[in-house]
Amino acid sequence: MKRKTNYAVVVVGGGHAGLEAALISHKRGVKTLLVSMDKKSVGRTSCNPAIGGLAKGQMVKEVDVLGGIMGFFADMSTLQSKTLNMSKGRSVWSPRSQIDKKLYEKIAQQHAKAVGLDVFEGEVVGLNIKKNRVCGVKLKGGDEISCNAVVLTCGTFLNGLIHIGKKQIHAGRYGEERSKGITEFLNSIGLTSGRLKTGTPPRIKKSSVNWGAGEEDFGDKNPKPLSYRTKNFKPKDEPCFSFRTKKETHEMILENLHSSAMYSGKSMAKGPRYCPSIEDKVYKFKQNPSHLLQLEPEWTRSEQIYVNGFSTSLSEDVQLKCLQTVSGLERVEFIRPGYAIEYDFFHPSQLKNTLESKAIDGLFLAGQINGTSGYEEASSQGIIAGINASCFVLNEKPLVLKREDAYIGVLIDDLILKDTNEPYRMFTSRAEYRLQLRSSNADQRLLKYAKEYNLLNDETIETLLHKIEKTEQLVKKLNETSIKPVEINERLAFLGENEIKESQKISNILKRPPLTIKDFKIKNTRSKLLNNFMEDEILFEAETLIKYSGYINRQQEEIDKIKVYEEMIIPNNFNYNEIKSISNESREKFINIKPQTVGQAQRINGIRPSDISILLVYLRRPFHVKQK
Amino acid sequence: MAIVACSTPPGRSGIAVVRLSGKSALGIVKTFVGGGSLKKTHLSPSLVELVDKKRRVFDQAVITQYLSPNSYTGEDLVEISCHGNPIIVSKIIDLCIEAGAEIAEPGEFTKKAFLNGKMDLSEAESVSSIIHAKSLAGVRSGIKNLKGALSGSVIKIKKSIISCVANLEFNLDISEEDLQPNIINTTLEEVKAQIVVLESLTESFKESQFFQEGASIVLAGPPNAGKSTLFNALINKKHSIVTKEEGTTRDVVEKNFLIKQLPIILKDTAGIRGGQSEAEKQGILKSKEEISSADLVIMFNQKPQKPLSKHLYVFNKSDINTTTDNYDIHISAKENKNISKLKDLIYKRLVGDFSLGEVLLTSKRQSRSVLAASEHLKMASVLLKNGDSLELVVEDLNCCIMELDKITNKTSRDDILESVFSSFCVGK
Repeated sequence: MKRKTNYAVVVVGGGHAGLEAALISHKRGVKTLLVSMDKKSVGRTSCNPAIGGLAKGQMVKEVDVLGGIMGFFADMSTLQSKTLNMSKGRSVWSPRSQIDKKLYEKIAQQHAKAVGLDVFEGEVVGLNIKKNRVCGVKLKGGDEISCNAVVLTCGTFLNGLIHIGKKQIHAGRYGEERSKGITEFLNSIGLTSGRLKTGTPPRIKKSSVNWGAGEEDFGDKNPKPLSYRTKNFKPKDEPCFSFRTKKETHEMILENLHSSAMYSGKSMAKGPRYCPSIEDKVYKFKQNPSHLLQLEPEWTRSEQIYVNGFSTSLSEDVQLKCLQTVSGLERVEFIRPGYAIEYDFFHPSQLKNTLESKAIDGLFLAGQINGTSGYEEASSQGIIAGINASCFVLNEKPLVLKREDAYIGVLIDDLILKDTNEPYRMFTSRAEYRLQLRSSNADQRLLKYAKEYNLLNDETIETLLHKIEKTEQLVKKLNETSIKPVEINERLAFLGENEIKESQKISNILKRPPLTIKDFKIKNTRSKLLNNFMEDEILFEAETLIKYSGYINRQQEEIDKIKVYEEMIIPNNFNYNEIKSISNESREKFINIKPQTVGQAQRINGIRPSDISILLVYLRRPFHVKQK
Repeated sequence: MAIVACSTPPGRSGIAVVRLSGKSALGIVKTFVGGGSLKKTHLSPSLVELVDKKRRVFDQAVITQYLSPNSYTGEDLVEISCHGNPIIVSKIIDLCIEAGAEIAEPGEFTKKAFLNGKMDLSEAESVSSIIHAKSLAGVRSGIKNLKGALSGSVIKIKKSIISCVANLEFNLDISEEDLQPNIINTTLEEVKAQIVVLESLTESFKESQFFQEGASIVLAGPPNAGKSTLFNALINKKHSIVTKEEGTTRDVVEKNFLIKQLPIILKDTAGIRGGQSEAEKQGILKSKEEISSADLVIMFNQKPQKPLSKHLYVFNKSDINTTTDNYDIHISAKENKNISKLKDLIYKRLVGDFSLGEVLLTSKRQSRSVLAASEHLKMASVLLKNGDSLELVVEDLNCCIMELDKITNKTSRDDILESVFSSFCVGK
C-alpha cells in the first residue's frame, strides 16, 4: 500500500461543511488536507443561489463569529440582499443574500489557496481504523493518507441516485460522479445508515422568458452584510421575478402524476415536508389555487435561471409542458431539468455533541451525511466538526454549544437526540430560547468561544468586544436616564400613546410597542472602530434588550433551572440493563441514543420524569456507596 | 427554592406530616407559626400553633427541623406534624405555597436527596422502586383522568392553542410574505374562547377540592324553621340548642362531618326576620355573609321563580305539615325522616358523580397548572390587543401549552411543526 504525506486532519468533501471544517482546522494551526472528488467543485452551491433566510441567516452569523467563511464569501458575491420578516418579531428578522454562485465558488477556491490549505483531488473509499481510532483514509486506487482525525462531509454523494421521472442516474450531483465505498465501509464497522431524498428545480434559459409577465423584486435599500468582517457593503441589486402557477398548471401536473418518480409507486426515501416538490404541493394542497415561482439569477447577468418553487421529479417533458402553462413562461427552454436525489446518511444519534462518532475516536461527521439539508446547516456543522477535529488532535477540550447559545447548539442537540426520518432543516421555532438567539446578537453570544478557541483575528475580536461594551453601556443608560414629559409627550401623542405626567425612565417608555430608540434622541458617540452596520446593530440590540427584558429574564430563569442536569454526565459505559424499575421502552431509547448528560436524557422523546429520577439514583452509585 | 408535600397518605388519620425542603424552608414555616416558639436547633421538636393569614389559629402542630446537610434531602428540611385532617393539611400546603414554596413533583424529595449525595446503594434501589410505583399510580390516575372530563377538555384546549401557535409560527417561521391579514383577530378570538374554557375548568376543580378541603354547607331560612334540629340530625349529635322560640341561634354554629368520605363543614345560622335585638341583628348579618361564601345552602323555603343553583330547597316538619309546593326534598328533621336521602342529594349537588381516587392526589397541582395556563393566555391576549410582537405572543402560548402538558402528555417542538406542515403548504 502506498502512503502519502501525513496529515493531522483530513476532511472528505469540499462543500459547505467540508470547506468550513478544513479552513477552521487549518486556521487553528493544524496540518489539514481537504480531499475532493473534483477540485473545481470546492465551494459549490448545488441548489438555490441564496445564502441565509429564516433561521438560516442567524446561523450564518453564528458561523461568522466562530471564524467561518460562509457569510464573508456571501457578502463578496451578493447579487441582492434583504432582511426577511421585518414586519414580524425582531428575533425572527433574518438576513438573506442572493448570491453569484460562480463567484462564490471562485472566491472559496482562491481563499483556500491564499491561506495555504492543501486540497487533494481523489476519492476516499474507506478509513483505516485501529483500536476504534481513526488513523488514515483509503483512496480509490489503493493509496492511503495517514492522519489523526477525519471529518466526513459527503453531502448527497454517498450512493447518490438521481430521479427524473422514470429515468435514474447514478450521480452525486447532476453531472458529477457519485461516491461508493464509504457507506459500505462504515456499515461494516457497525455504523447504521439510511436513505434520504431531496430535490432541485429546473434551470431555464433567461432568453426564453417573457420577463414583462413577472413581478420584479429587488433587495433592501440599506442592505446589511452577513459577516462582521465585511466593512463596506455595497452589493449589486439584481432583481428576482415572481411568477405564479395557475389552474392549467395544476391540472396538468395531476394528470401526469404517474410520471413523477415520487408518485410512480416505487418506494422512495423520505423527502423534506418543508421543501415539497411542485407535485406534492399541488396534490396535497388542492385548495391552493396558485403557487409562487421565483425566478432567480444564478450569477450576475446569467443566462441560467433557477426556478425557485418548482422542485420536481416529474419526467423532463412533463416538467417543461407544465412550466409552459405559466403566463410568461410559454416558450420556456431548459438548461437542465429538475430532479430528485436519494443518498445515504448516517443516523446522527451515533454522534456525540461534538459531532465525533461515539464508536470511533477521531471520526467526525458533518452536513448532509448527518441527515440535514441546507447550506447553512452544513456550514454550521462543518465549523463545529472542524474545530473539534483540531481540538482532538491538539488534545484540547472540545467546543459544545448549548441550546441557549446558538441555533448551531439547537441543531446538533436535536440531531443527536432525535430519530431523523426526513432531512432536518432549522426553523426558529425549534429553538425554545428563540428570543435570545437573534441574528443581531450572534457576537454577544459566541465571542467568548471565538476567543477561547482562537477562531478570529485579534482585530475582529477587539472590534466586537468594543461593540458589545457599547451595547451594554447604552442599555444601562436607557435604564438609568429619565425623560421629562415635555421631552416626549409630543411624540407619544403623535404615536397615539398615552402621555406621561411625571418624569420616567426611558426604558419604561421604550417598552411600549410603537416606540423605538430613535424617539428619544439619544446621543450615542460614534466610534472609529465600528462601521455603520455595527452602530445600527448596537441601537437595535439595546432597544430589543429593553423591549424584551421581561421575556428574556424569564427564559434565563428557565435556563438556570435546568443547568444542573446539563452538567451531570452519564458515563460512557453506563449499563442501562442494570436499572430494573424503568420500562423496556425507555431503556431501549437510552441504550440506542446513549445520552451524554442527564439533560440530554430528559430531551429524548417519550422519556418520563420518573425515568430520570430513577436514572439519577443509579448515577449516584459510583460516588456514594457507603463505606462498610 | 423550597418544595412541599404531605408525606403521609391522603385522607383522615391521627397525624399527618407535611414536609418542606429547601434553603427557605425555615423562613416559610415562620410565616404561619403563631403561638409557641420555634427552636432553631437541629432535631429539636417544638409544639406550636398554626395560624392562617388572618392570624387565626387553625391547628396545633409539632415542628421538627433538620438542618442541612443532616436531613433526608441534604437541605434544610422541616417536618410539620399536624392533625390528620385533609382540610388542615391542605391549608398548611397552601400557606407554604403562598410563602414561596412549590408543590413537589412525584419523587422530588428523593431526587433532591440524590443530588445532594444522601443515598447509598441499597437505599437508592429501594427508593427507585418507590418512584416507579408512584409513577405507575400516576399513570393509572392519568388513565382515569383521560376518561374524565378534565383530560378531555385539557386536550381540546391544547389542540386549539397548538393550532394557534402553528398558525403564528407559519407566519413567523416559514412564510416570507407579509402577515396574514386576520391572524391577530382570529388568534385573539381563539385565545379568549380558551380562557373561558380554562376558567370553567377551574370551577370544576372545586369539586375535587371538596374532598381535600371540605365543602361548606349553610343552613338558612326563616326563624324556627328547624335549622338547628336538622343540624343535629345531620351530625347525629345534639350540638345546636333547639327551642321553640324564634331567634335562639344567634352565632354561627359550625361542625364537621362526612358524607361518603366527603368532608362537610356544616354551619347553622341565625334565622332571618325583621325587628330584632342588636345581638340578633349581628347574627343575621353573619348569616348573610356565610350564605354568600357557602358551597351549598340548605334553604328552608320553597323554590322561588328563579331557583339558585347553590340552594337546596327543603321542606321540613313533614311530620306535622303537608304541602304540594315546589321543594327539592321533603324531610322531617325531628323524626329523622329522609335525612339519608338528603345526604345523598347534598353529595350529588356538591360533587356529582365524582369519585374519590388517585385523581385527587394530583388535583391541586393540576388546578394550579390550569390557573397558570389561563394566566398565560391572558398575557397573550393583552399582547395581541396592544399590537405587540407576535413572537412574544407565541412565547406565552408555549408557556400555556407547557402548563397543560403537566396534566396530559408532553408536547414537543415537532408536534408544532407537524401541525404547521399539515395545515400549510410550506416552502416556495
